[in-house]
Amino acid sequence: MKTISRLVLAVAGCVALAGMAFTAQAGEIKGKVSVQGIKSAANIAVYVDEIAGKTFPAPAEHVVIDQIKMSFVPKVTVVLKGTTVDFLNSDPVGHNVYWPSISGNKKLQHNLGTWPKGQKKPFQFNDLGVASLLCNVHPEMSGYLVVVATPYFAVTGKDGSFEIKGVPAGTYTLKTWSEDGKPTTQSITVGEGAATAEITVKK
Amino acid sequence: MLNKKGGGLLLTAAMLAGVFVYMLFVSAQRASAIPAFARKYQTSCTTCHSNYPELNDFGEAFKKNGFKFPKDDEVFVKDAPVMLGSKAQKEAFPGAVYPGEIPGSIPLGFRYSGFFTMNNKRPMGLGYTPRTDMFTPNTFTIISAGSFGQNISFWIDDDVSTGGSGADGGLGDGYLKFNDLGHYLKLPKDTLNVRFGQFELDLPFSEARSVYPSGYDIFDQVSVAGGYPPTGLLPTTNNPFTLGAPQRGIEIGGYPNDGNFSWSIAVVNGSNDGLAARNSKDVYARISQKFNLERDSASRKDVQAAGPTGPRDHTSIRVGAFYYYGRNVQNIGSQTYSYLGAIREPFYRVGTDLRFKYRHAELFGVLMYAHDRNHLIDTEAGTIASGLPVTYSGGFAGLNYWLYPWMIASLRYDAVNSPADYYNGMSRNMTRNRITPGLQILVRSNIKVVTEYQRGWEQPNPDGPNPFFRANTFVTGIDYSF
Repeated sequence: MKTISRLVLAVAGCVALAGMAFTAQAGEIKGKVSVQGIKSAANIAVYVDEIAGKTFPAPAEHVVIDQIKMSFVPKVTVVLKGTTVDFLNSDPVGHNVYWPSISGNKKLQHNLGTWPKGQKKPFQFNDLGVASLLCNVHPEMSGYLVVVATPYFAVTGKDGSFEIKGVPAGTYTLKTWSEDGKPTTQSITVGEGAATAEITVKK
Repeated sequence: MLNKKGGGLLLTAAMLAGVFVYMLFVSAQRASAIPAFARKYQTSCTTCHSNYPELNDFGEAFKKNGFKFPKDDEVFVKDAPVMLGSKAQKEAFPGAVYPGEIPGSIPLGFRYSGFFTMNNKRPMGLGYTPRTDMFTPNTFTIISAGSFGQNISFWIDDDVSTGGSGADGGLGDGYLKFNDLGHYLKLPKDTLNVRFGQFELDLPFSEARSVYPSGYDIFDQVSVAGGYPPTGLLPTTNNPFTLGAPQRGIEIGGYPNDGNFSWSIAVVNGSNDGLAARNSKDVYARISQKFNLERDSASRKDVQAAGPTGPRDHTSIRVGAFYYYGRNVQNIGSQTYSYLGAIREPFYRVGTDLRFKYRHAELFGVLMYAHDRNHLIDTEAGTIASGLPVTYSGGFAGLNYWLYPWMIASLRYDAVNSPADYYNGMSRNMTRNRITPGLQILVRSNIKVVTEYQRGWEQPNPDGPNPFFRANTFVTGIDYSF
């Protein structure tokens, strides 16, 4: 009995150590996006592309995209495939949210209709790609929703910097999407600490 | 009716217009052109205009609110005003000037329109006019409008070049308006407003800000006594007044009940050319009621209806009536007939209007009757007596249909019944009709291509006692603002 207890404790200890080791091995990707021919390096989506043989469950928590002072806030949002997005209207005018396609696939177009201030409408995004969010009565409004295959993503700040945390060690494909620039693709290897990526997005 | 050669020219012109439109769509850079209000709020023209300058429901609410957003205006203003005194200065009044504000940037907008016109062939013997004309009327308009704080708004527009729409190349509207004065009398919001200056009357359908190249015939009609069967007497009525011309005066009015009811009474000069032509002033009054037919009560109360694909105008019927009374005066100072004093001839115009909106369609119409007192002068005996009044009637009916948010088809029918015009040889029959199909394409929110064909039924009458010619006209052109 004592031997079995010791054995169980030893196995539990090994499992715990292995878990800690795995956690210790989850790194991050840091970096900066610079631009050529584009006005700003802000609001550029940076994400780890599909990992072969690996899928991720959709998060239970909803992501919120608001409409304030006739603008989508945030302007660029990245979500994991399967995430439900709540479109909130915080303006005292009627707004409408629709997207004419997802990455050019018009079969995936959708119009959420109109709703007043304080209300929100949810929609679950189950298709990879980029949706241009528009309002049909205020054509100057636009936002972007980037649906990706992994939970490892970020949106650049004003200076183009980004940080993606919790990325397991391994070699991945790192991609970018931006409103005005061409998409980029590069390989990146994440170890125990932070991996650094310097990306240039061109028009 | 156009002959084969005319039909060929028409086809060529239509093809050229089509190529022109195509090139505008595919070759123009993304434009950020925005007139004064668009600049102030950093929003597109289509926020307020369904087909500029025609207003959608939001635009009408914006206009009625003194050119401010109907709710929480300050939240949306991107161009902060310049404060002429802090708000706290209100407490110092009358010991200090009451504080106000002016727009942060000079609220200037510009509009250009120019049209290619083609008429059918004028019969020999009636003089020469070119069958085609490039970009006429060729009009450049400067527009400035906005608000001076909570309750004061202004509008000025001036056509710089000749042939200006509704203003013949001069000041169109130039007024100051005090909004919601009824607030001080504890009346409901927007029950009482006052504006001063020069302005288009509160017509059921604006001529100055019409979407059509051609005006409404009934609004442009004048009263001139015709050549009645010879009696040896001379009729006097010669009234240049047209309902569509801007007027100088004072107007009180209001839009209570969330803007669904509208009323106005204006006291005006009767003309806007030079100094006032007479001492008496004219009066114009109008009332209208809009019935909101939206089933959903929340949608009815909102500025725009909540459609399944986005906000849209309410399904509604608007009915109204208008009345204009004036007194035309001739022979002032006995300048024409030395043996007679001033000849005063009261006149009135009375009419009713209807507008029905449903989804992408808009149906509208006006019926109007005009009556001018007339006299008969016996030039030999040197006497004057009452004569049969000069009257005319008519109206228009039309349909606008939005095939796409950027493509609007229109069809309008104008009719004027004027016995005086017939007797004066200005019309082949007592009634003249015109049908005008048209198409407007918003190449961008601030640029459009306008096309219409004005088709009448009067045939030229070169052999009659009073030869006249009323051409069928094809019009196409560009209209842009920034």
